[in-house]
Amino acid sequence: MSMKPLCVKLSVQPSRGLVDEKFTVLVQNLLPGFQLTVHALHQCEDGHSWEAFAHYTTDATGTVNVSQDPSLDGTYSGVEPMGLLWSLRPVPGSKSGLRMRKMNVQTPMVVTISVYQGHQMEGFLDRVSLASVVVERWYMAPGVRRVPITDGKLTATLFLPSGAGPFPGLLDLWGGGGKLVEYRAALLASHGIASMALDYLTPQITKETGKMVDNDYFETAYRVLEQHPQILGSRIAMLGLSFGTSVTLRMAVYSQDVKLSCAVCISGSHVQPIGGSVEQILAYFNRNADKTRFDENNQVIWRDLLLPIPTDPSLKVDMGRLQCPLLLVVGEDDQNWPAHECAMDMKEMMERAGNSHLLTVLSYKNAGHLIEPPFMPFARASTFKTVTNPPTKVMALWGGELVAHSRAQEDAWRKMLVFLRENLYGGMKHGASFSNL
Amino acid sequence: MIALGGKMIPCYTVQRNLACIQRTVGGVRWTSSCRPAPLLTASPVRALIDDKISIRGHFLPPRCPVTVCAQMQSDDGDLWEAFAHFNTNSDGTVNLTRDPSVGGSYLGCEPMGLLWGLQPAPGAREGLRQAEKKKVETPYVMLMSLLKGHVSPSERPSTELAAVTAERWYMAPGVRRIEIRQNGVVGTLFLPPGPGPFPAMLDLWGMGGGLVEYRSALFASRGYASFSLAYIGHKDLPGPQNLINVGDPYYKSAFQLLQDHPQVYPDRIGIIGLSFGVYLALRLASHSGIKPSCLICINGPAGSTIKLADADGRTEQTENDQKYWTYDDQGNVSFRAVSLPANLSPESKVKLEHLTCPLMYIVGEDDLSASSVENANLIEETLSAAGKSQLLTRLSYPGAGHLIEPPYTPNSRASLWSVKPQKLVTLWGGHLAPHAAAQEDSWKKILEFMETNLRH
Repeated sequence: MSMKPLCVKLSVQPSRGLVDEKFTVLVQNLLPGFQLTVHALHQCEDGHSWEAFAHYTTDATGTVNVSQDPSLDGTYSGVEPMGLLWSLRPVPGSKSGLRMRKMNVQTPMVVTISVYQGHQMEGFLDRVSLASVVVERWYMAPGVRRVPITDGKLTATLFLPSGAGPFPGLLDLWGGGGKLVEYRAALLASHGIASMALDYLTPQITKETGKMVDNDYFETAYRVLEQHPQILGSRIAMLGLSFGTSVTLRMAVYSQDVKLSCAVCISGSHVQPIGGSVEQILAYFNRNADKTRFDENNQVIWRDLLLPIPTDPSLKVDMGRLQCPLLLVVGEDDQNWPAHECAMDMKEMMERAGNSHLLTVLSYKNAGHLIEPPFMPFARASTFKTVTNPPTKVMALWGGELVAHSRAQEDAWRKMLVFLRENLYGGMKHGASFSNL
Repeated sequence: MIALGGKMIPCYTVQRNLACIQRTVGGVRWTSSCRPAPLLTASPVRALIDDKISIRGHFLPPRCPVTVCAQMQSDDGDLWEAFAHFNTNSDGTVNLTRDPSVGGSYLGCEPMGLLWGLQPAPGAREGLRQAEKKKVETPYVMLMSLLKGHVSPSERPSTELAAVTAERWYMAPGVRRIEIRQNGVVGTLFLPPGPGPFPAMLDLWGMGGGLVEYRSALFASRGYASFSLAYIGHKDLPGPQNLINVGDPYYKSAFQLLQDHPQVYPDRIGIIGLSFGVYLALRLASHSGIKPSCLICINGPAGSTIKLADADGRTEQTENDQKYWTYDDQGNVSFRAVSLPANLSPESKVKLEHLTCPLMYIVGEDDLSASSVENANLIEETLSAAGKSQLLTRLSYPGAGHLIEPPYTPNSRASLWSVKPQKLVTLWGGHLAPHAAAQEDSWKKILEFMETNLRH
């Protein structure tokens, strides 16, 4: 009897999707009880290769369905529909401290999913796969428009959803690493929210004048959104991660010009000198630099710089004065900021002031500092370049554990979208559900 | 809904006005009972041409008239449009998979009606054929919009409530497109991603000529290497472009090219032909010593419609068949009678008794370009007489025309055939909804037939 060549069928549906969409990986047409490895390979923009893999055994019909069947071993185990993406890690021999961030959002992230015979642990690139499929993961849905913004001396990019609008707006702030990071704003626009990514630590104006921006920079950004013909000026939110939280809380509570429908703060703190400029807030953190710790791998732990949480009211944003709904997202294993402790303190302040009905806290056990859109690979630590002059490069410990952190990202993102939709579109109609959007 | 002097009107305007009040009031959070702004979703928003998409409208007033509109621009810049009228459900949604259209480009519940129902927009050039995509590496970009009331597309944009953009692709990510000009063979090869080897298809079209790539691109997106072959009307082929100047050796070379390809299984190659391509496929499988694993024939003749100049199948001038052309009262021409079995050149009739592989023959019963029913009958009789009727699978679609193509793309009953020496519009036949249904069903059966005969 001649050996029939294996006509294994590998499919990934959808093969083109948004980065926060789930896919189904199906392997068919094999013999029952067949041992195989499903492998994912991605080469990111800076040329580094990342891979993930999992061991499966086909069922009685000769099929493996990654969404339903357990992985026996690999970069993830158990039933994990999206494990091939969030467990991606640099291939052996790579530089240490890498973090995957897409800077060009107009092209997709391309991942090659392949099936190999047997339970393999390494050397994938030297083997011939049984089948492979190329998958595209996009930050921009079709029709989303990317608009660079330079008016008012801003360094920003606005993403508009497809259609005529008007759309609710959102100001998107990242943290202490600076730069213009667009991917989250692009993804939010793909969900119907006109979002502006704003560089406020390393913008063009700071590079030219050497001076850091202040309140009027953020107020200008808000005004650009408010006055945009395709944006509903009365429905603007702000989203900040890490140091971006410090700015968001400040604007939400104290700014006369900025009127937010709601705010989302991820992995941040309300501890800051009231009335201080951005520069002064950074200086306040630096004053406590002696509280920096190092772990056994010489990775930097900065969470103690803001501890203990001050009782002096001039050193904390007065949360009792907040008038819009606030969603706080924190990881309990955050080694970079004491986000969980700050969230608890904010909650207490709001309970005392009587506005705690505005607050929702999502606190995730074993999640770290960088709580990002879902299915992105996890980095417990990575190289971090400060925006000081001169900049210093360290290995920052973000914290978190792979599986718990990945689950936290998925859960937090879904809840953030619901929160934003509820607050930016008005009250929810009885019976309507967001779950399938 | 708001009652105004006893009349119920949808409250879109009120919602907008309330949003304006919000602006003046400033920081106070507006906790109203108004619904969120309407939303239109298409899922998946990037898909292959033959994937179904789910189009839904949300957050609309209940039991209200709305229009869903689709627009697409072809590679040549022509605008195609479709629209459908719905009444929203009691929960304020419209779902094209569940709800019937009560007016517009199609009627009834048709989840993909906005795609196959696309028609040239008013003011477009006349006689457009179904948007034939020349550049298969880029998607069709479809703009879908949700409009207030039961309107036609020309009444936008004042009533647009929501919009979404969808992309429809012929090529899945990773599919490779390779231009072939080798051993005199002119064609385009599409390979699925991955190492292979893959089963393969040889893809033949009709006398319209040139290189038609999109069906091959889709086969590759479904895991089959596929080779679109040109045989007439291509600048890289020898001789005058209005004649077939290639014969049996040419098609054999093309088949051989596939067999020799390192990423193709040499004994798992099928042939698909439409129109004149059917004759070529049948001839190749019965006369030339080539043994394909299966044949798929769509609306074509069992013999040549053109007098053969030589034994190899090259043709003479094509004007002789004009005596069989018929015209309707608008001066549109039907080529149907040209391929009646009685009018086919007798020495070219394919010796089907030599066929050894499964054959699927697809008939559009309203085909006005070829005598498909009669040829299907001829093939069925010949195979039956040879004791080979078990090889034949016949699919017959009432109301379907000549160009039975991959599903969910627009189809036309007639289109511009030639400009010189005279302007001619030819009739393909087929009525919109049955033709679309035929495309959907036949494509599914084609892929199943290929799966059975090329993978197992």
